[in-house]
Amino acid sequence: MVDRVERLTNLLALLLETAEPLSLIQISSELVGQYPDQEQARRAAFERDKAALREIGVPIDTEMVTGGAYAGQTRYRIDRRAYELSDLELDTDEMHALQVAVAAVRTDSTNAQDAIWKLGGMLGDGQLHVSASLPERPELPAIRAAVAARASIEFSYRGELRKLDPWGLLLRGGFWYVIGHDHLRGERRTFRIDRFDGGAAGIIVGEGHTFERPESFDPRSAFPADPKQIGHAPDDGVEALVEVDAVRSSAVERELGSERVVERRPGGAICILVPASNLDAFRSWLFGLLDHAVVLEPPEVRTQIIEWLSDVARERTT
Amino acid sequence: MSGPRKAEDRLRRLLVMLPWLMEVGEVPLSEVSERFDMTEAQVQKELELVAMCGLPPFVDEMIDVFVDDGIVFVGIPRLFTRPLRLTAPEGFSLLSSARAAMELPGADPAGPLGRGLAKLAAALGDAGIDTGADDTAGVVIDLARPALTDELAEAATRGAEMTIRYYTPARDEIADRTIVPHHVFADAGNWYVVADDGRSQERRTFRIDRIEELELTGRLVAIEEQLSAPEGFFVDAEVPRAVIRLAPAAQWVVEHYPMDEIRTIEDLHGWVEVRLPVASERWLSRLLIRLGSDVELVEPASARADASLLARRILNLYKT
Repeated sequence: MVDRVERLTNLLALLLETAEPLSLIQISSELVGQYPDQEQARRAAFERDKAALREIGVPIDTEMVTGGAYAGQTRYRIDRRAYELSDLELDTDEMHALQVAVAAVRTDSTNAQDAIWKLGGMLGDGQLHVSASLPERPELPAIRAAVAARASIEFSYRGELRKLDPWGLLLRGGFWYVIGHDHLRGERRTFRIDRFDGGAAGIIVGEGHTFERPESFDPRSAFPADPKQIGHAPDDGVEALVEVDAVRSSAVERELGSERVVERRPGGAICILVPASNLDAFRSWLFGLLDHAVVLEPPEVRTQIIEWLSDVARERTT
Repeated sequence: MSGPRKAEDRLRRLLVMLPWLMEVGEVPLSEVSERFDMTEAQVQKELELVAMCGLPPFVDEMIDVFVDDGIVFVGIPRLFTRPLRLTAPEGFSLLSSARAAMELPGADPAGPLGRGLAKLAAALGDAGIDTGADDTAGVVIDLARPALTDELAEAATRGAEMTIRYYTPARDEIADRTIVPHHVFADAGNWYVVADDGRSQERRTFRIDRIEELELTGRLVAIEEQLSAPEGFFVDAEVPRAVIRLAPAAQWVVEHYPMDEIRTIEDLHGWVEVRLPVASERWLSRLLIRLGSDVELVEPASARADASLLARRILNLYKT
């Protein structure tokens, strides 16, 4: 029995070299002794090989014979132009920069590394002083493909079935978001991908080219940079006035920007405007500051914070 | 250095190795092994295997490659002279990595990375990826970094010692420390610096947005071995643990903090019970307050009173 890699290599070579598409009978007679003689076993082995080649990205063309003695027979070949990577004409320093990029950005897959190899580069040289890790999500490949193909996706989100024309993906704050036109609400919406109810298996990708991404669309500006505003349109934003004491004031000012500071108190405390459209996110941020921050306005936010704290204070003592 | 095992993965590796070998023609086995992350024995075995591949009338001659005395020789190439085109996942990953690298301190959009990225984006149509007018393929990576990140990254390249004012939430205090930064990295939405800490004489990881100020001391420390970001989160086994139950609305906690154990609870639909390391009692109190009624404390029971006390202290601020 030949090594499977040897048979796959031979099959690949044969389909690349052939001038005419070949049937399975022709293929197995060229690759003498490499496929089983028995018809069903031969077909099964060939289908496995074909799937393996497609998995690694080999474009196998199939065509059906339409007339004559072989009508109905399927024949196979590989178009060499579709198989071969076109030359990117990368300069040495550009190749090197991409290599460093792949080394500095860690992901859970080896896809980027495989791409560098194909482009003729190598990995792991030089000292790295900065790096980042990109979270991979099992849902990403399907959504990326849908964005690229302009295909709608359907998925369940917090118990509701949604249909979205996905315009783009954004990684922000360590989470992946998909942004697009939501058919259910009839307007633009943002969804956090790790919150999809059914995971990757629950995503249904529709036909391609069913929508156009708005020309001016940029995921970066399409939704607020501040997680405290996600889930709402940025222009209907509620803002809270928060007093932060001297211990945390400089950090908070750095985080939110000096232009949000409305008052500076003697001793270093500040009063600052904080987006509070998403009350859950706002509250979580606020309590991160412990007793160094207090909400001054608006009254309804202040009341909700007091109620929340009273609940915690009461519940814990019973 | 284990190398690929599955037939698909071995073939994938071969199909990038062969075009490269054909281009260089003659190369030490050790270099091939290092470049493609396989042992020399694996490389030799794979090359011997492909040397046997062939079709009539060129049986055994299709790929003219042999290894002699630690050197790989390749004859006149006929097949596999060009690598297989990028698959869509490869194209996306490379594009994402390059875009993320563009967000790192020191990246220059007009430099080699920017130019390489533009060429890559232009070529991705081959992989069935329409990158659109803006070359992004609709994928944007935003690693917005705190103000001092660039200065820390720059200091890390030189081994420059500095004094920082650092806020520690676990103790709720600000203290001055003298550190030597080595590596700056982004993970799960935050930026960190790995540095030698003068106070504890240990290598520590600091969150950059908690550094209030920094000042260079002017002293330079020799840069030692290559230091990269720690693998995942760095959790000390000695740290005490808490067990809490989380409502669906509170389950962002699972993604934010390292967990020892997560399990669903049968009679509470949608809730999960988790065991997690606790940096300090104060940190746990703060978490309990943030989660309010979306969390149920299982152990340690003492945390209940601590959280209640802290909640009342914050409440006092509202009684004016």
